[in-house]
Amino acid sequence: MISCTEFIPAYSELFCYLEERGGRDEVLRFWEHLSDHFLDNLRELVTQHGLRGCWMYWERTLNEEAADFTMELDEAAGEFTIRMRHCPSKGMLLELQQAGRIEPYHDYCGHCDVLYRRVLEPMGYDFAADLTECERARCSIVVRDSRER
Amino acid sequence: MPKQVMDRSASDNEYLHRDFHGALSSALIYLEERFGPDAVRDYLARFARRFYAPLRHELQQRGLPAMAEHLRRVYEREGAEISIDLSNDEMIVRIEACPAVTHMRQHEYEVSPLWYETVRTVHQAVCEGSPFTFELVNYDLETGASTGRFSHHRSASGEEEEELR
Repeated sequence: MISCTEFIPAYSELFCYLEERGGRDEVLRFWEHLSDHFLDNLRELVTQHGLRGCWMYWERTLNEEAADFTMELDEAAGEFTIRMRHCPSKGMLLELQQAGRIEPYHDYCGHCDVLYRRVLEPMGYDFAADLTECERARCSIVVRDSRER
Repeated sequence: MPKQVMDRSASDNEYLHRDFHGALSSALIYLEERFGPDAVRDYLARFARRFYAPLRHELQQRGLPAMAEHLRRVYEREGAEISIDLSNDEMIVRIEACPAVTHMRQHEYEVSPLWYETVRTVHQAVCEGSPFTFELVNYDLETGASTGRFSHHRSASGEEEEELR
């Protein structure tokens, strides 16, 4: 068994493997597949609770992943944000890279943008991810209820 | 409605997100459907050779106790029952129920039919280049309960030599 604490490097290696087999399109195809088949819990929470469903989903995942973050839900303004000060996944990959153990997939953080956007936008939410600092394991996402404007 | 804020630092929580097992299972199912079962084995072996390079080194240097320590750490952290019978040339590992499979069944994630390759292929890849081999003796597809055997090359060849004399 690969421990769930060792999943992130396995995930990154999978992206590398897929890209070697079929190029960038193969990686995107997998991300879309994962979004469609693995994120039912996020989809269901947002269907049932609206923007609060985002809070409920990430409250669990980010705490279980021991992330360093601030999360805000402003239902009156129709906005949910995550400011990630240190992403445990990207942080782990950077540490492993420094130790010479693996070479992280060059666009590892891109999967978050594809996976979550693909769930939330068809449900009427704008999704914006700022990945400009992802090489320092920092990022932010903003989800806005587009019906609020 | 007041704004809700949650602020956490890494040290506030233990790093243990079991849903990652479901994501890996989903990935293995995808790989098998798109490229066939050999792609699953190929990917897992490649990952194991790279990521477990320090463990492979330890296995070569210290032998089976290094593997035993690794397995105890991995399985006990996820709350699994593991029993290990270790001798100089052989190690039998029994897992009562795979904690990843238990989690996936509880949360209704689809379990890859090739999930056992996360044991067989991964351990075989870790053994490459060492004096040891790994054999998955039995595996229960429903629970992930398994028995595996690590053995020294010389166990088999030694027996053959005995027979030849």
